[in-house]
Amino acid sequence: MSTLKPILIRTLQLVLVLWAVVTILFLMFRLMPGNPLAAYIDPTFTAEQQEALIRQFGLDKSLLQQYFTYLINLLQGELGYSFRYRTPVADRIWLLLPNTLILTFSSLIVAYAFGIFAGAFLAWKRGSRTEAAALPVVLATRAMPEFWLGMVLLAIFSFSLGWFPAGGTRSAGTHYESLWQLYTSANFLSHLALPMLTLAIYSQGLPLLLMRSNMLDVMNEDFVTMARIKGLSPYAVVIRHGARNAMLPVMTSFAISVGYQLQGNVVVETVFSWPGLGRELVSAVSAADYPLAQGAFLMIAVVVIIMNLVADLLYTLLDPRISYA
Amino acid sequence: MTEPLLSIRDLSIAYEVGALDVFAVSHATFDVPKGAIVGLVGESGCGKTTMARALTRIISDNARIAGGEMHFDGQDLVALSEPKMNALRWRDISFIPQSAMNSLDPVYRVEYQLLEVLRGRGGLTKRDAKKRAIELFEMVGIDAGRLRDFPHQFSGGMRQRVAIALALALNPKLVVADEPVTALDVIIQRQILDQLQYLQQQLGLSVIIVTHDISVVAYTCDRTVVMYAGKVVEDCDTATLLAAPLHPYTMGLKNAFPDLKSAGSGILTPIAGSPPDLVNPPSGCRFAARCPFVTDLCRAEDPPLVKKTAGHVVACHRSDEAEVLREQAKQPGTWEAGA
Amino acid sequence: MPETPAVVPRSGIARFFNSMQLPVGDPFTLAGLIIYGFFFVMAVFAPLIAPYDPIEILYTSDYDLASDLFPGERGHILGTTSLGRDIFSQIVWGARSALLVGLTAAFMVAFIGSVVGLLAGYFGGWVDAVLMRLADIAFGIPFLPFVIVISAFFEPSIWNTVIAMALVLWRDTGRVIRSQVLSLRSRGYVEAARVSGSSDLKIILRHITPNILPLSFLYGSIAIGWAILTEASISFLGFGDPDAISWGFMLQDAFASQALARQAYHWFIPPGLAIILVVSAGFFISRGYEDLLFPKLGR
Repeated sequence: MSTLKPILIRTLQLVLVLWAVVTILFLMFRLMPGNPLAAYIDPTFTAEQQEALIRQFGLDKSLLQQYFTYLINLLQGELGYSFRYRTPVADRIWLLLPNTLILTFSSLIVAYAFGIFAGAFLAWKRGSRTEAAALPVVLATRAMPEFWLGMVLLAIFSFSLGWFPAGGTRSAGTHYESLWQLYTSANFLSHLALPMLTLAIYSQGLPLLLMRSNMLDVMNEDFVTMARIKGLSPYAVVIRHGARNAMLPVMTSFAISVGYQLQGNVVVETVFSWPGLGRELVSAVSAADYPLAQGAFLMIAVVVIIMNLVADLLYTLLDPRISYA
Repeated sequence: MTEPLLSIRDLSIAYEVGALDVFAVSHATFDVPKGAIVGLVGESGCGKTTMARALTRIISDNARIAGGEMHFDGQDLVALSEPKMNALRWRDISFIPQSAMNSLDPVYRVEYQLLEVLRGRGGLTKRDAKKRAIELFEMVGIDAGRLRDFPHQFSGGMRQRVAIALALALNPKLVVADEPVTALDVIIQRQILDQLQYLQQQLGLSVIIVTHDISVVAYTCDRTVVMYAGKVVEDCDTATLLAAPLHPYTMGLKNAFPDLKSAGSGILTPIAGSPPDLVNPPSGCRFAARCPFVTDLCRAEDPPLVKKTAGHVVACHRSDEAEVLREQAKQPGTWEAGA
Repeated sequence: MPETPAVVPRSGIARFFNSMQLPVGDPFTLAGLIIYGFFFVMAVFAPLIAPYDPIEILYTSDYDLASDLFPGERGHILGTTSLGRDIFSQIVWGARSALLVGLTAAFMVAFIGSVVGLLAGYFGGWVDAVLMRLADIAFGIPFLPFVIVISAFFEPSIWNTVIAMALVLWRDTGRVIRSQVLSLRSRGYVEAARVSGSSDLKIILRHITPNILPLSFLYGSIAIGWAILTEASISFLGFGDPDAISWGFMLQDAFASQALARQAYHWFIPPGLAIILVVSAGFFISRGYEDLLFPKLGR
């Protein structure tokens, strides 16, 4: 029962932040220089379309009324009409969301799996030459622009070696019966490989360094020493007691990393022509397709905000000292 | 006289501090008889905890056993190979730490931690292990329903009982308890010590209790070993130690602690001064600087540990005059600084 | 956390440098400072070091475009771009915008974050509540997308990055400084000052600020890296200032000119390496601070 209260508080926080971001977005696009109608209406729309949009978004009413209409529309999933694609923005967003999520989560899972093992390994190898050689490399991966890494990988593995395709989610001319079939096909996976690798290499630094630091702390704890006095096997001491405790903060950082990863998505999707929300945001802004830009930004923000909440909750749930207080 | 369970001979343990070796324990010698509770008493920094941990051979990374022997059950633990030593750990020699809170893994339930030793080191099946866990909890006086709780859900005294249960899990021959009741209040202290004593009698095991509190020793231990600045200064049965100690330090200790049995009787007189720096230990008796009965000989020569009567050894040049010195020691004035 | 130093120098500037507590003893910090120094010199003396103007389109003696030259050809150390511009000169001049963006943005982030943390931590109550809710909102805004959207509304310029960072990225610094201030506030000498009637402003300036400055610098030096990376991403995506030759712009140029397919590694590797060096330098320096602020034995 005691775990319900923090969940409630944090959900309220989430709603507050969501509302604030949504409002900021509204203000940004309404108050931008130029025609206030330009946020939703393109001159090339037909007169009827323009009429319909004006009514739908209350564009002829006061700013406050427009705001409320905007909020109501948002709750109904109504995001306006894309200038370029002449389709509802919402449709386009839902189409692209899976691509972005797949890229984000697959790369993060790989990054974290690698980071946790490598971090524990480096903690074990403290003071050795392996560590002295590995740490600068890890720091360098955190210092590099992800798109540059993508470019290098693309140049080497796609253009020079020809092992992987140069972009997109699938080869031209392929056809799949269902999304599931597409996503599990070898073709899709070979397209996913390089962008995923790029993001993974960039992201592994955080879990690695965090895990290493935690392991070094945990291995000095009394209960680890006790495990050794009990004569338990090295596996029990290092992994069952050491790593299990060290991993706790790393797991919660996973949820927060999703938020940061999504930003990296923006550039990586561009380098690899990966049809996701990030790339869409960039091209929509470049083409002044404001409704689509708004929609893409909003979706990204929503995912980030939700994952922040998940991160908060995860820590509460994973640490028995808190959940069983 | 049967063979003692544990025989420490000339044991020295050194810490590497920078380029120097600091000897936390110097040439320690004492025995632990079978089925006895032996107290290892002394103030902080006297080397008793290092001594206790050395018995498990899990000591700090920068520490090492620099010499001597530890004969346990026919084997020298100092010379024993690591795999053989590990086989002994917990099965023959177990350990009760000072603060059970930090010695229990916070993310695993207490039952799991018991099962871990019972199955992993004791080879029991899951069913048998669970039964044994219930048995152990009953032995230490905790409701078996609490097995599924996490360590932080227990109070200090209960956690110490859990630690005892863990230590007894595999029926060891020797249990080393490092300040087992120091972190608890006096009433709980007594309960835990009673429990420990009871279990020791029931199971016939040997216990070493490391403590700085002589009243704990008085309450529980058959024999007592007194350590000072890394050296053993007196070793005899507890009754004699309290009634007729031979070493001035022991005489001073007696004045400094309340009696567990009759709390509040008598004036407390701490021994003025502090132990010598072990990085540069003095050449003579280490207690010389604080001893009210010091002579030039004491400052010049370190007294050897000699046997005065059967079962009583002491390291003091003036141990023959002990009866007289004891009378003087009873006066609080003797112990003031500059005596 | 070190208390205010026992001997406090009289002059303000000396006190400032003293409170920065630059940990020059640490080898990492030293390496970081040297790298910064190197690029600083490169930025300041760019006109003297760079053989050509970075945006000047060059021609060969036969009036052909000196484009896509490889390193060493016709005296171009790193070759030329598809448009005939000298790559090495671009790298040298790129240091200017990198350091400019890096340092201004880092300063703004550290400054705003510190002020927010100070106010929230010291005054507590509703001030704290409001500021921390603002921080929550800042955490909910995805940073790069935000910069992109801002770039849509304003003229392409490196200052878009700085403004966006100032608006959003103070959040981490703010929270950390706040906790630090909370713990400082309960210290003996602060209590004593309050009881003896010192004004809040005086207490903040004299007692609390000097103790949080090292933390501010720590986060500032991390922010430098973020700023440079963000500016590079923005330029790469095409929202940067096309007249300011930044390393990010070079990478966008290379990408758009199919340098990858043509294996023109000499074009796109150097700008990336330059960015890595400068950002790493920031990490190294912050590592030195971390050891100072949160010393861990035997690490």
